[in-house]
Amino acid sequence: MMNSDKMLDAKGLACPMPIVRTKKAMNDLQSGQVLEIHVTDKGAKADLAAWSKSGGHELVETAEENEVLKFWIRKG
Amino acid sequence: MSKKVAIIASNGGLFDAYKVFNIATAAAATDQEVAIFFTFEGLNLIHKVANQQLPMPEGKEHFAEGFARANAPSIPELLSMAQEMDVKFIGCQMTMDVMGLDKEAFVDGIEVGGAVTFLEFAKDADVTLTF
Repeated sequence: MMNSDKMLDAKGLACPMPIVRTKKAMNDLQSGQVLEIHVTDKGAKADLAAWSKSGGHELVETAEENEVLKFWIRKG
Repeated sequence: MSKKVAIIASNGGLFDAYKVFNIATAAAATDQEVAIFFTFEGLNLIHKVANQQLPMPEGKEHFAEGFARANAPSIPELLSMAQEMDVKFIGCQMTMDVMGLDKEAFVDGIEVGGAVTFLEFAKDADVTLTF
């Protein structure tokens, strides 16, 4: 597991909330910092990858643990 | 880098509202500039009273349970999130005249305009959607 500068718990939220919350959380970070996101919405897997790409961020790692999807995104 | 998304909302059911506001908020959260033109039944989606109680399609009422189970946000919640992220709402003047509704019947912050107002925004949009 990699280190993160901020953690967002978006478990239990349905589309489009994980993306909306991720966007808001990312606003508080500086370029190069890493946001860790926990979700249960399976659609977020593809969505957060697309969101990162579109915003020029880097999806550095993903993991799955007891139905919780975890993402680490480095701000571009 | 910012892209433009132009949406026409012309239907007024609960499913229609989710299609419109989910795409709009997702686009806004992806740093895209979004405008929605609400016309005909689509005006229900921004009507102060109607948007709180949008109907499900006939025979699909049992989906209410699924919406609750999926923890889907309510339409008023999605609407205010969209506004928070600067999604532009344009109400169709002609439909409002036909239905005898004025701007006060709608949520705050909408713009009222005709087809050209929307077309002006949509002419260089990267994505155009109709619901």
